[in-house]
Amino acid sequence: MLKIKDLHVNVAGKEILKGVSLEINAGETHAIMGLNGAGKSTLANTIAGRDDYEVTSGSIEFMGKDMLEMEPHERVAAGLFLGFQYPVEIPGVSNLNFLRTALNSVRKQRGQDDMSAAEFMKLVREKAVLLGMDPDMLKRFVNVGFSGGEKKRNEMVQMAVLDPKLAVLDETDSGLDIDALKTVAEGINVQRREDTAVLLITHYQRLLDYVQPDRVHVMIDGRIVKSGGKELALELEEKGYADVA
Amino acid sequence: MDDAVIKSYEKQAEGLVGSVAGMDDLRAKAIRDFAAAGFPAAKSEDWRYSDLKPLRAKAFAPANHAGEKPEIPAAFTESAARFVFVNGRFSESRSDMGDLWQAASVRPLANHFMANPDRAAELVRGRDGVGMLNTALAKDGMVIAIPAGVEIDDPVEIIHIMTNAADCAAHTRHIIELGEGASAHIIERFIGDDATYWTNGMLQARVAEGAKLTHTRLQEEGANALHTTKAYVNVGAGGQYHACTLSLGAKMGRFEAYVRLMSDEGVATIDGVALAGTGQSLDTLTHISHTMPHTTSDQIFRTVADSRGKTSFQGKVTVDKDAQKVEADQSFKALVFDRTAEANAKPELEIFADDVKCSHGATVGDLDAKAIFYLTSRGIDPVTARQMLVEAFAAAALERIEIEPLRDALMARVGAWMAARKDKPIPDNK
Repeated sequence: MLKIKDLHVNVAGKEILKGVSLEINAGETHAIMGLNGAGKSTLANTIAGRDDYEVTSGSIEFMGKDMLEMEPHERVAAGLFLGFQYPVEIPGVSNLNFLRTALNSVRKQRGQDDMSAAEFMKLVREKAVLLGMDPDMLKRFVNVGFSGGEKKRNEMVQMAVLDPKLAVLDETDSGLDIDALKTVAEGINVQRREDTAVLLITHYQRLLDYVQPDRVHVMIDGRIVKSGGKELALELEEKGYADVA
Repeated sequence: MDDAVIKSYEKQAEGLVGSVAGMDDLRAKAIRDFAAAGFPAAKSEDWRYSDLKPLRAKAFAPANHAGEKPEIPAAFTESAARFVFVNGRFSESRSDMGDLWQAASVRPLANHFMANPDRAAELVRGRDGVGMLNTALAKDGMVIAIPAGVEIDDPVEIIHIMTNAADCAAHTRHIIELGEGASAHIIERFIGDDATYWTNGMLQARVAEGAKLTHTRLQEEGANALHTTKAYVNVGAGGQYHACTLSLGAKMGRFEAYVRLMSDEGVATIDGVALAGTGQSLDTLTHISHTMPHTTSDQIFRTVADSRGKTSFQGKVTVDKDAQKVEADQSFKALVFDRTAEANAKPELEIFADDVKCSHGATVGDLDAKAIFYLTSRGIDPVTARQMLVEAFAAAALERIEIEPLRDALMARVGAWMAARKDKPIPDNK
């Protein structure tokens, strides 16, 4: 599903990713672990197509297509979802309006009609409730006045509504208390099917207790230095990054 | 300024003697004042952002109105009455008095002072050449007096249409009076064709104790029009004045609001949105005077300037020495789409009392790249994303509009303005 080959990325003129290669197949859940500054978010943002992230060499293939040729909104139509580490507040735009426009934009790109208002409301409420969000919060402006945990939960609701093929979740667990963490984990687990894949980016092992990865990769200084099964995460927890690398 | 221009306006003023009962002396003085003062100098503080060269260059003739058959725009909502002015002249046949005449006193300016010519002294003179010319040359307008205790729920529309009026001007003067405890909502609309015409309007209002005046303005003049309008409002004890202005049209469009909170507990809110396309200059100047204690004012302005478009906001708030416990807030935000777009902000606070709460904020910038990316990262294309953000940006200034279909209509115009720009390349602001 996702094939990253020898990816080099500059941010503000400085090379952050120094040759990352990664392959994720449908049905798999991967975790990338690393300390702050290792390049984990850079990888996530590059996959999503953010402007300031300059790919200097390497390639990304997604669902058989050259991802670097696609605009961010096109990547979403192709089946990508990025869960942000720091979701932005958007005053004046309600969660409902945002989600409806997003969903219909994706449908339009796929040659489908807009979803009917009734169907949409049903879908959104269902997902909100599933993820422990008070449906009233849907009327509020995107992330405005939301606590850290509520913002992360909002990311999960958006993911559930958009139903992506590949979910790249950047530090989705940070700032969550144990209850919120469990709810988010459930949302992620529901997302895991034969035809979908999940890439978790985290530096705490905690989330991986609830969302058990198939593969774990360790990222240090812009490169993936080691890959293994889920035991690798435990090893990192016990020994620290320096020792494991 | 060209002598010929002054002479032309002097002649026009002479020609208006006798046209509005009670105004002759006022006119004579106003045209003398204008001849002495001329139009505001380019360097004058209040007019520094507005280019008055077209007004200095030649005199604008009185607009003709006979025989014009313009299309009247549909109302946004149920109206109490609709008054239509074509090229500055009240058109009875196109207007609809509705039921308003049963509840309030409504007269065209031409008849208003007939019974009481002394009341003409209540007319605001106009502090600058533009206002003086309005006083000298106004020959029509609406005079609406709502008696004490009467609440007019549906809005009253005053529609100004300019058609086939190239190089002509319309000077109108409206007078709105609300008795104690009365309430009314006036919607002023300005539309016109592509000719180079000049709309020079003034509205003066008195809001008595406990009364509430809501004032919405939709300026959609033609692309080559000059639009200069002023509102003078006096608010009595516990009275309220709520204004919202959306400026979209005109080559040079300017709205000035002068509000005096004359007695305790008066409230004034002035909000607005200005969207300046390429080559347009849209200016707003407000001056709210808190002369008495416990008065409140709040202003929310949002402007957007496209390439080579210009907006300006000058917001002056004065708080007199005895006006304690006053709360006055201002929030001005401007978006500029690229380096050629211009936005000017000049908040001014003059506070002479010592127990007050005043705040002001003015920012100029472009759309938040992080917000745009957040939207595109959810599948929304960049053009739609920008439109959503600009709509959200402007919405803050339209929130106080209580009539939903009216607010929706104004929001729709913001959306349409952005949608019209969808094929323009998105500038790289780096």
